[in-house]
Amino acid sequence: MAHPSVDPLAADRGSNGDRRAERLLGALVAITVALVLAMIVFVLREGWPSFAHNGWSWFGGGGNVDRQTEAIFTSANFNRSWVYEFHAWPIIWGTLLVAGLAVAVSFVAALFVAVFVVEFAPDWMRFILEPVIRLLASIPSVIMGLLGVLLVVPFINDVLIDDEARRSVKYIVSLNGYSLLSGVFVLSLMVAPLMVAVFVDGLRSVPRNWLEGSLGLGINRWRTFWKIGVRTARPALVAGTVLATARALGEVVMLAMVCGGVGFAPNPKDGLIFFLEPTKPIAAAILQSAEELTSPPMRDTIFAMASILLLSSLALSLAGWAAKQPMKKYGVRA
Amino acid sequence: MTKKTTGLAAATVVALAAVPATTQAATIVGSGSSASTPYVEALYAAYKKVDKKNTFTFNANNGNAGAKDVQEGRSAFAIQTRPPQPSDSGLRYSKLFLDALTISVNPANKLDNLPVKSVKDIFTATQTEWSAFPESGLTSPIQPFGRVATAGLFTYFTSAVLEGAPTASSVTPVDKDGEVAVAVSKNPNAIGYVGLANSKPASGVKRLKLNGIEATPATIKNLKYPLSRYAWIVLPANSPNKAATKFADWVRSSYEAGVVLKKAGAVPAFNATKKSKKK
Amino acid sequence: MSAGTEFDAPTRPVAPARTSARDSSASWRLTDRIGLALAWTLGVGFLLVTGGIVLYLMIQGVRFVKPELFVTSPSAGFSESETGGFLDPLIGTFAMVVIGMSIAFPLGLGIAVWLSEYGNPSWAARITESVIEMLAGTPSIVFALFGMLLFQSPILGFFSQSMDGVVYGRSFLVAGIMLSFIALPLIVANVREGLQAIPGHVREASYAVGKTKIATTRRVLLPAARPSVMTGAMLGVGRIIGDTAVIILLLGATLKMVPANHTPILGALQGTGSTLTSFVYQNAPTGEANQPEKAFAAAFVLLSLVLILNVAVNITVRRGRKMAWGS
Repeated sequence: MAHPSVDPLAADRGSNGDRRAERLLGALVAITVALVLAMIVFVLREGWPSFAHNGWSWFGGGGNVDRQTEAIFTSANFNRSWVYEFHAWPIIWGTLLVAGLAVAVSFVAALFVAVFVVEFAPDWMRFILEPVIRLLASIPSVIMGLLGVLLVVPFINDVLIDDEARRSVKYIVSLNGYSLLSGVFVLSLMVAPLMVAVFVDGLRSVPRNWLEGSLGLGINRWRTFWKIGVRTARPALVAGTVLATARALGEVVMLAMVCGGVGFAPNPKDGLIFFLEPTKPIAAAILQSAEELTSPPMRDTIFAMASILLLSSLALSLAGWAAKQPMKKYGVRA
Repeated sequence: MTKKTTGLAAATVVALAAVPATTQAATIVGSGSSASTPYVEALYAAYKKVDKKNTFTFNANNGNAGAKDVQEGRSAFAIQTRPPQPSDSGLRYSKLFLDALTISVNPANKLDNLPVKSVKDIFTATQTEWSAFPESGLTSPIQPFGRVATAGLFTYFTSAVLEGAPTASSVTPVDKDGEVAVAVSKNPNAIGYVGLANSKPASGVKRLKLNGIEATPATIKNLKYPLSRYAWIVLPANSPNKAATKFADWVRSSYEAGVVLKKAGAVPAFNATKKSKKK
Repeated sequence: MSAGTEFDAPTRPVAPARTSARDSSASWRLTDRIGLALAWTLGVGFLLVTGGIVLYLMIQGVRFVKPELFVTSPSAGFSESETGGFLDPLIGTFAMVVIGMSIAFPLGLGIAVWLSEYGNPSWAARITESVIEMLAGTPSIVFALFGMLLFQSPILGFFSQSMDGVVYGRSFLVAGIMLSFIALPLIVANVREGLQAIPGHVREASYAVGKTKIATTRRVLLPAARPSVMTGAMLGVGRIIGDTAVIILLLGATLKMVPANHTPILGALQGTGSTLTSFVYQNAPTGEANQPEKAFAAAFVLLSLVLILNVAVNITVRRGRKMAWGS
């Protein structure tokens, strides 16, 4: 927010150029905000017919979501009356699983790495590690997808899956490395660095004398940092997690390449095989059907899927905003 | 900052003013599946020598959307790999050249022939074990790869091989032809349907004979190979764009287009086999 | 170490004073030692994975990178010797950065300045803040879809090619405009952070010599916040360079630049083309064109660009830290 303590002299306030500048900036802001709000309205409105037709069962399971997609766009292509039936649960579940697991894994990894970077790494190591992590965060997703298909998927197929496991589910899905696991693994590599960056910022701004107090009491460095540093930086942890979740939900190209593309909801009851089952997150589903945007019912369905992504990012940013509030009084920024 | 903004705005205004410059030569837009982009662009490049005036561009979306683009006037023509459908009112389809779908396996698989019926069994999960095909030398579960439902090859495969039956959920659908080839080349138990161009030995996959017939230009041209199929050019039935019509005729019949098609891995069906003498 | 108690001052330690205790971890509890070991392992693990990815791409790519690839356009063909280079995708990436940043940078700067220096009424500031935050979290595929919807409307036909009243909706301009939305939040966040890190007395000093608020912002605050401004801009550029979803949907799938008309520059911007990301996407063994040598060479170039940007960000951040406002 604006610096409340610094208000220019009242005389300056009245200055003409200043007024104009403020108005100009305000207009810029207003236009941007209006555009974004327009985007939300547009996307929701375009997706509405799909929601309206299915009601709450849009979010439910039932039938094969891939087949439903096919029926939707072929209905228009073949001049039949438009079909709208769509039960998105498998792709919603797939999104939750892929993003959730990747964020969970990344959270643990990023927390340790951030603590390491801020407190325990030798200087030379920190000097390398920080830029390297930033580099990892900025590798384009198409490259990550390519590496996933060429390296991760075959590795999982050759090493982690045996014929026994394949046979156990062979009538339902193929276990061939295109899986939840490969998606989660590659996605973790993409979002963990984002989290590390935010966590490191948060941990760095923990007031030193709090830590020193603890050390003075003879508590060891690890425990001190873990109990006091990490706790104090909790809002930063939340903020980083929110950022990473948003990115994970929105990842498209990589997930479309490595997850297997079947609208299948991996079943935790299957035991460890669960991780090797294929799935399809919403963003990947959108990319795959984007070529059918010309088919009106498909277009509505695609925008309905996009609305879900948009609404979740809205909810996430609200959560992130709420999480940052308590942090402000410590001057901790994330 | 204000000054800079004004400068920028001024530049924009100038640019705006420059727009309505007259265009003497037309731009002709074609549509079709993204899979056809490589050869369409190659055809364009070769056609430049014939038609120097017009610019041809290609709007790659997908096979089904192409026809709709033509209906709506978004494109002057479309290249389709499926035959005409009931929704194609107001369009004229003409056969352009031949292409084929291949059934490919990993080179580690010793199988070299498969009846089309068996392919159907595999992709509908009636047959799930390689042990059912002893010549394969494998005893593991079959891992079939196919395409996502929006792909033209999916539509073709469903009608030509599966005879309309739904694909089993155990078939892993991927986005692109090349992805099927990569998946099959990396997985000894895999089988997948791949276009002619991506199933060359360089892709690391092995084409199977179907019903004992190999996919060669000759067998595709005489339609003996079971998955031979025509690629079509779609033009509006009424007053089609003249330049687009000429282009279609050129692709269908000229020797030069035939050369390009051959290189692209397709099979020219009607092209002249010799260079015509007159220029 | 000053015994400061006012935590509300934005403190960013100049050189993070670390707890200097020299206790050896041997005396720690087992769980603590495991924790430390895990931290080391994961830290090293990150190094190895990133190093592995970079090395793999370097080794795969560097074999195929030839100078002529940078100056020849992609051409239609069916073997590596025929398909030309990636001049057009390079220009495409450059064009995306220029279009995207020429919108996102001034806009982001303006929004950040407004939020940090003006920000009233405060409800408007709060809304803006949340909107920008939401923008940061919006999946790029949603931008792509929205862009498609928006720019296929006849009113905005100027931005892409239109034929007989039908608007094509895919072009450099369209993709660049939508990409600017992706870069915007990064610029806003960083510039704002930089402005807020400047203590109030700097502003007061400027007002005291009779400068107006806007003059203070332009002549004092923004120059002082330059490292943050640069960081934000470069992070934005990084996101634009790396994006694939928007490019695939909004730039058209032509590897070569296909101008919409014969107007120089503008015609090209209204036309379709490719960027390095879409070039890799198309030419990778998984893509339609399948020219893996070209794809790996382009991936190598793409990665090198990302690397250079990162080094640049790094230097700016370090420099920024050095001139942090001490107290």
